[in-house]
Amino acid sequence: MNATVQGAKKPDYSTYPNLTRAEAQVAARQLLALNGDGPAADDTVLTSVERFYRREARLLDDERFSEWYDLLADDLFYWMPLRENRFRRDKRPALDPDAMALFDERKADIAVRIGRIASNLVWTEDPPTRHVYIISNVEVFETETPGEYEAHSTFLQYRNRSEHDEATLAGRRRDVLRRVGDSYQIVRRLILLPQSILLTKNLSAFF
Amino acid sequence: MELHGSIGVAIKAAELVDIELGHIDRRIFWEPEIYERELQQLFARSWLFVAHESQVDVPGAFVTTYMGQDSVIVARADSGAINVFLNSCPHRGNRVCFADSGQGRAFTCNYHGWSFALDGALKKMPKMGLYKSTPGFRMEDWGLKRARVESYKGLVFATFDETAPSLDAWLGDFRWYLDAVLDVEEGGTEFLPGGATRSVMNCNWKFAADNFAGDIYHALWTHLGGSEPTLGRHGGVVVENERSWQVSVNGHGWEFNDSFLGNAATMGDRELLRYMRSRQEAITARLGAFRANMWGSVASGTVFPNLSFLPGYFTFRTFQPKGPTKTEIHAWTLVPKGMPDDIKDRFRRGSMRTFSPSGLLEMDDGENWEHSTSANAGFVTRNQKLCYSMAPAGQLEETELPGIVHNGQLSDANQRLFYKRWAEMMDADSWADIPIAPCSAHAEAAA
Repeated sequence: MNATVQGAKKPDYSTYPNLTRAEAQVAARQLLALNGDGPAADDTVLTSVERFYRREARLLDDERFSEWYDLLADDLFYWMPLRENRFRRDKRPALDPDAMALFDERKADIAVRIGRIASNLVWTEDPPTRHVYIISNVEVFETETPGEYEAHSTFLQYRNRSEHDEATLAGRRRDVLRRVGDSYQIVRRLILLPQSILLTKNLSAFF
Repeated sequence: MELHGSIGVAIKAAELVDIELGHIDRRIFWEPEIYERELQQLFARSWLFVAHESQVDVPGAFVTTYMGQDSVIVARADSGAINVFLNSCPHRGNRVCFADSGQGRAFTCNYHGWSFALDGALKKMPKMGLYKSTPGFRMEDWGLKRARVESYKGLVFATFDETAPSLDAWLGDFRWYLDAVLDVEEGGTEFLPGGATRSVMNCNWKFAADNFAGDIYHALWTHLGGSEPTLGRHGGVVVENERSWQVSVNGHGWEFNDSFLGNAATMGDRELLRYMRSRQEAITARLGAFRANMWGSVASGTVFPNLSFLPGYFTFRTFQPKGPTKTEIHAWTLVPKGMPDDIKDRFRRGSMRTFSPSGLLEMDDGENWEHSTSANAGFVTRNQKLCYSMAPAGQLEETELPGIVHNGQLSDANQRLFYKRWAEMMDADSWADIPIAPCSAHAEAAA
């Protein structure tokens, strides 16, 4: 993507890849149905997905956001729902695409977020935050769509900035990955943080 | 006035905030004794926002929240009344409800099984005969302590102070302004579904509350990067002292201009702005041009002490005190019930992308408030004053508008008045010593 540069005309994000609301709702339902029920992908695929995730994490740790952006499919749906404490008897769906969320993004929205950082006007990221993003427990399954895989993983994301300012977030991801050449693109991503109250002040990071 | 060392209760809060000069003692953001006094003098006496009526829409519906550091349950009874009561069993003190929201007939304590009705009354417990045969024990003595509850146009407030004035008196003429977000069309408002977006900041709650009461000044610098992607470099946010105001009533503060959708524009959603423009004529017919132009304008507000909101994004949030240097933000998005579903969804995503823990603008604020707080660990530092002095000449003029009105949204006027009310409540032994502004006739009629 073309990150905004000093003095440049601002990009028209309305022309960036997006989804309609109906398409996003379909994508959310697809993610909610990913329960690892399909046949496991073979070890070659598993190894290549793990390699992909290690590279993705390194790009994010190194703030190589433009390269990370290129790993996102144009029909990306990227979702971190809120978690509420509810009784087990509660009949409402625990994860609802129409409910408030922490991230509910399309590729164009990710571009805006990267544009914010690229503005060099974000004082709270200057000096920069240091990140370590650890991906583990990777499982990959075949889907009904050739070339698309269902991938589950866990993550630990450590952030540190300034002197004592740190945050550790652990969670789970469910992805739909699309094979593109010898790598993958992220088509869907569901990020599940176990915290009902975010125990830090912001989510100034990608997951 | 020179104060050194630890602060005892003998010190008057009024001596810590010089309202004329706008000099604020930094110890009010740090000292545990002052914080404890706030829990007693402010949070146990004020009308505090606890829920939107839409969150407890049917009998049995409940949410849990906090009044100060007191955990409370907000529940709709069969009568339709909304009750608010302490979420702590009077038997051994355990929390009786661990869900954030839900639906039920009773709240049953996990410890010994004492069970309470939707109005907090004690209904039953295991082996009730043990108590029936206990001389002097009466069920009615051991319900969950209830608060007074009153609503204003969908917003439910509660207080534990039997002697507090009515909510209408507490809000006073601020109601006339609140209608610019609460009463833009028939049918009222609702919170979007999904519960509160909650996060933790290591800051004193007042830095957040005073910011929303009257600090648009920070947006010109703090939010340069956050607004750059949607608005363009330095270009989008127009903040000037022409055609803009600060109003204050009983410590509540709202700074705004007449741009109609200046705040909303930073969400970068053209469809949403098109919809808002299509509503301008009807809202003007309902509220008059002056208040209609407040609907989505460059603005922020705080209902004293800790309910804040942003027109345009329509985020409503409480800054819940969790200690002198810890604050929890609980945030919701408020929309007119009659708004088209697709537009509601655009507000859901737009408010999330700007003012939530992942929000392009909110992410800039927390760092400021945390370090404004933590700097006071230094003894010499916290014995300095903070400068809330900005008061461009000629701002206070005669006006027909209700409340204390300053021309120009760039000033510290509302924040000084926030701390005036803070000191009044901190020092007052009774409500007789807390001035409540009389309501003006046209504000009373509008409400």
